[in-house]
Amino acid sequence: MKKMLPEAELARDERFVRSRIEDAFLDPRGARLADRYTGPAKMAADRPAAAERSRSLMHGIFVGEIQALEGAGRTCFDFDDDEAPFQLKLDMARQCWDESRHCEISIKLGEHMGSEIGEYGESTFLYAAACNPDPVLRLTGVNRALEGLAIDVFNSMKEFGESSSDPILTFCEDWMLADEVTHVKMGSDWLRRLTEKDPERRERALEFQRTVDKIFSLGGFRGESEENPIQLARRFRELAGFTDGEVDEIAEIARQAQAEAEAMSQAAQAAG
Amino acid sequence: MGRVTITPDAFTVVPYEVPVISDLLEEAAALIGFPTDVAIDLEVDEDLPHPLVYTTSDIVDGRAVLWMSGGNFESTHRNREFSVPFARRELTQVLLRANDRLADGFASAPPDSDLSLAERAAWDTWTHGRVGRLGIDVRPDRMRYDFRLQHGFTDAADSAFDRLWDAQTLSWDGLREICKETGAADRPISKVPTDLLRRK
Repeated sequence: MKKMLPEAELARDERFVRSRIEDAFLDPRGARLADRYTGPAKMAADRPAAAERSRSLMHGIFVGEIQALEGAGRTCFDFDDDEAPFQLKLDMARQCWDESRHCEISIKLGEHMGSEIGEYGESTFLYAAACNPDPVLRLTGVNRALEGLAIDVFNSMKEFGESSSDPILTFCEDWMLADEVTHVKMGSDWLRRLTEKDPERRERALEFQRTVDKIFSLGGFRGESEENPIQLARRFRELAGFTDGEVDEIAEIARQAQAEAEAMSQAAQAAG
Repeated sequence: MGRVTITPDAFTVVPYEVPVISDLLEEAAALIGFPTDVAIDLEVDEDLPHPLVYTTSDIVDGRAVLWMSGGNFESTHRNREFSVPFARRELTQVLLRANDRLADGFASAPPDSDLSLAERAAWDTWTHGRVGRLGIDVRPDRMRYDFRLQHGFTDAADSAFDRLWDAQTLSWDGLREICKETGAADRPISKVPTDLLRRK
């Protein structure tokens, strides 16, 4: 079996359609929308297009779970035991079990919202972030940045379920949220253990995490205001072992990402 | 000049084609038996992408005045790609609601901008049920979720949904009665305007 599988080779059946990230970046509507108020981005039942936006996001969560499963699974296989200890692989195998369950829950939540597998395009840049050839950097990128993002996403969806009195969404998101907290803790523990005598490698891993955090805060996707669809879940991140300083740093990264996106949008508009 | 007018007269931001939309609109009008002496003005906002979907349907000075987000026509797989099945479904539903407004039973219905989210969800449910019976692909589960978001995740709301979906006839008063029955009429009015996407 091939090691270090590129994202282009991920196995999908005919229901899935791969979307191209460049299409979103090159979409001229992005700049035109920037000057227009389309309502608070934070999810709520009274927000414009709330149902379709939540379905689309739910499908994004579902494919994200598939890719998280693939990322954790690859970590079990891609590295020899001297690169990644067997105990770490065992933790990743356990995480695969969780991610598989999340895939199944997400499929059912999609059906609950009236959606189906493959209804929306699949972007694979989450898996791309899980392809780092250094196991410590990969683990940090996946288990601290991406699984940290999953905490924010699940908590935002849980709050959306609560505000719309949807008991099914609220219950399911709460259960998945609990798993994500353990995944982040696992990442933090292994980062500490594997870099105990190598502070330079630890710093490289944390820098990689910042990069991934910035990518996934793209254009104000995540933040702490009504204008961010995904809210930074400070309390659950604290439970997962993030310090206040680390959460503040992610909040700052999110603010920077939003400011940069706004500046780019204004520049694009000025250029006509 | 025909009775259908589409704005913009040429799309510049998305690769949609006015003649294609015009033909689909005429096809929908024929399918639902929309009066041939009523002019139809359709405005498509090409700046709005999927999933920012929204439509309005009013009768103004005897003309059907329709407004749609470009996202209503957009493929859910590819940015800016026109989807004929989505356009067919959306144009049929928006025209059906205009047709409702021409009937006596909906004469007292307020303009779309003044409908509550619950009223709109109820009307959309009835409309999509009829679109499905006209042989166009619709998604009952999707509409049920949309309805539940505004009327509650309750047995009473599900029962109301089923009746609306299957209803052969309905009036504005009947629709408001259903909103009372589910409790949606008693919910606080949102501060977010329902037609916010239409406001530039």
